[in-house]
Amino acid sequence: MTGRPTILTRTIKLSILIIFLFLSLFCHLLTAQALPAAIPDSSSFQASPPTNVRAVDFKYDRGEALEVRWNLSSDDTGSNFITGYEVFRAGEKSDSFVSVGFVAPKTESLTDKSVERGKLYRYKVATNYKGNLAYSEISAAVAPEMDPINWNLLNLFIIGLIIAGAVIYFIAHAKRGKKLFIRKIAGLEAIDEAIGRATEMGRPILFIPGINDMDDVQTIAGITLLGRVAKVVADYDIKINMPVSRSLVMTTARETIKEAYLGAGRPDAYNDDMVRYITDEQFGYVAAVDGVMVREKPATCFYLGAFFAESLILAETGNSIGAIQIAGTAQPAQLPFFVAACDYTLIGEELFAASAYLSNEPKQLGSLKGQDVGKLLAMIVIIAGVLSATIASAWGSEFFAKLTEYLVRIFTIQN
Amino acid sequence: MQLFGIWVAAFLTLGIISFLYKDNPWYKLCESIFVGISAGYWFVALFFDAIVRLFWEGITGPDPRYNLIVGGVLGVMMLLRLVPSIGWISRWPLAFVVGSTAGLYLINYFSSNVMLQVQSTLNPLFGSSFGQPIFSASLYDTIGNIVIAAGTFTGLVYFFFSKEHKGAFGGAARIGIWTIMITFGASFGYTVMSRMSLLIGRMEFIFGDWLGLIK
Amino acid sequence: MKRQVPLLITLIVGTVLILSVFFPPAERLGEDFSIFFDIIAVFAFFLGGGNLVRIHGNRLYRKGKDWGFSLVTLLGFFIMLIAGLFKLWNPGGISADVTATGSLFQMLYDWIFNPLGATMYALLAFYVASASYRAFRAKNREATILLIAAFVILLGRTPLGVYATGWIPESFSLVQIPNLAIWIMSSPNLAGQRAIMIGIALGVISMSLRLILGVERTYLGVDSE
Repeated sequence: MTGRPTILTRTIKLSILIIFLFLSLFCHLLTAQALPAAIPDSSSFQASPPTNVRAVDFKYDRGEALEVRWNLSSDDTGSNFITGYEVFRAGEKSDSFVSVGFVAPKTESLTDKSVERGKLYRYKVATNYKGNLAYSEISAAVAPEMDPINWNLLNLFIIGLIIAGAVIYFIAHAKRGKKLFIRKIAGLEAIDEAIGRATEMGRPILFIPGINDMDDVQTIAGITLLGRVAKVVADYDIKINMPVSRSLVMTTARETIKEAYLGAGRPDAYNDDMVRYITDEQFGYVAAVDGVMVREKPATCFYLGAFFAESLILAETGNSIGAIQIAGTAQPAQLPFFVAACDYTLIGEELFAASAYLSNEPKQLGSLKGQDVGKLLAMIVIIAGVLSATIASAWGSEFFAKLTEYLVRIFTIQN
Repeated sequence: MQLFGIWVAAFLTLGIISFLYKDNPWYKLCESIFVGISAGYWFVALFFDAIVRLFWEGITGPDPRYNLIVGGVLGVMMLLRLVPSIGWISRWPLAFVVGSTAGLYLINYFSSNVMLQVQSTLNPLFGSSFGQPIFSASLYDTIGNIVIAAGTFTGLVYFFFSKEHKGAFGGAARIGIWTIMITFGASFGYTVMSRMSLLIGRMEFIFGDWLGLIK
Repeated sequence: MKRQVPLLITLIVGTVLILSVFFPPAERLGEDFSIFFDIIAVFAFFLGGGNLVRIHGNRLYRKGKDWGFSLVTLLGFFIMLIAGLFKLWNPGGISADVTATGSLFQMLYDWIFNPLGATMYALLAFYVASASYRAFRAKNREATILLIAAFVILLGRTPLGVYATGWIPESFSLVQIPNLAIWIMSSPNLAGQRAIMIGIALGVISMSLRLILGVERTYLGVDSE
């Protein structure tokens, strides 16, 4: 039932209003103190300088950096009142200071990477207010030193050791006769069939090991696969055609194929011209390979290595001549084109596993198990990290918050 | 001279495009020119860059780096391949290259592709980022967080070699390959427009610079 | 000796480079070894260039098939080589930068090399269309998913995508094609990329260890262990 407000109600409302007014005034006074009474005239005003300027050796490097630290100027109140801080450096005995960097307000350090190991340096930092500089005291002289071990990378070392250790363990303990299960990879199972098709049709095989040089691990993976393919080619006595884009790859490929033919007991069938250098230029190479494809009409095309934009040109030209195409690359941007245009595609990791898979040797297959340990570790950390971050967000649990922070920290590379 | 250059460029451009119809002598001519010119170009570029600037000036410059002689020695060993009786020495620089590639790639890929990728995935499912309260993210972002975590996990399951893709494991692997296919489709769709712009560039040259039909 | 020494070199060099990351005094070894590689690659180019000249020279000498095109290749190669090494027509003379404007080398690059490369690159527009046509005949579930994702992303980057779903109310804005495209790029695409990249890195680690330990030796022309 509504009625006229009682005296009690009015009193309560009035009290609340007075408390509110009091709090507002109090807050205003607090914030008012943080701001200067008026914006000073920029032509003459100098903000207060930073204090406690000191230089320390940048940790775990080659002795080529120093970190300059300071306490903020009392006029650095936020809202970009000051323009920033400028850092100056001089030698131990010199009074000639040069500027080495400028940082934004609210920044308390700068890393100077233009120093020489063993030389002493002194610093001063100036607060910049619209071009007017207020200099701090000069810091003590410090020389950068080289640290023997980079302890920042301890987490990288330990996790790397676990994964590499797993790979090495499985390689070392692989026993002859013990069958290791590895799931079927369609592209690799199809190699024999693809080469058989070339034999039936009496047409050559085309092998493209990518367009990068031997300093790319994908190219090395392609060459090791070439060794496996060349063995089968030597057995079947069909022609292999390998135009290459790099001279070093040409040299390596020739060694590989020659050895395969020797191993098959057919050294006379080997010919250096099976591997030809074309040009280092990406599209010049592709133009030539396209020409080889439409003129020699290989029955099977292998694209195994590092590819870039030319991947689609090669794959589509191969399609136009009706060849079976098996591709593999670790370039994520090119995989879609190979998947769309080729019969079989080795996706990323499968390219590196292929050589071990085809060898069927326990030691090589053991390394694949080691890879799986790495994947398992990543999967466990992802589940644990995501769940603990979710629980920490939902219930504010300090334990799970710390666990998440810990997991994030051990997987963070610090510089 | 400029006009002559434009005509040459137009001739070569149309010659390459003619390959789309079928292989023909015009394309073969352009291909031969391209192979010869580009091989010569790269030899000159590498010679001045690696031999003159890096090697020769590195050794004879004001701050000589005599360790570069090791590179020179390895390079000469490579050429011994031409002498059959001692051609086996060319395996040594090759072994050097493979060893250094293996060592460098192992650490680089591990830190950027494992450590960084795993660390980036450790976010709450129902929050905008770690440290923010639950449901602080929009529905859009929440679904995205779940998809990222689940997609990364199942993608890794797909690549597992030691277990057959059967049962629940096979189901997770199937979701993984679907996620990977979405990734491939996204890459494919993303690059289509940029490929079209390359063609537009050449057409502008033909119809603009050469024929003068576009101003 | 012929087989053991290279394997030992691979082992030592690989191990040293892995450990050099953790020890600042050895940090520069990676850079130095990359420079050594560049030098080796240029020396190796003599082998490749020699092979190019030999193959085309032989074809020309024997008047083999398409010997005329081999003559063109050789002419192009030597003209570019001489123009560059002797800096013909270079306004700055023999000591100037080889790519100086007005030099024969730069002119050949601008009139021949560049247009050929750009046109080959431009062919991708045609090939991407034919690859898309093939992908449209989605034969299985995976191909269908690839096709749908590609279609959404493609439309999302064009005005057609904006018009096609612009009528959808704001409360369901996620299903508007441009927003859906952005979401696909930032969520499932990111997930797939991460899985692929983690897998690739583990594959590289395994492959690198097999090479360093000598388990994988095919590249040396030696049978694996």
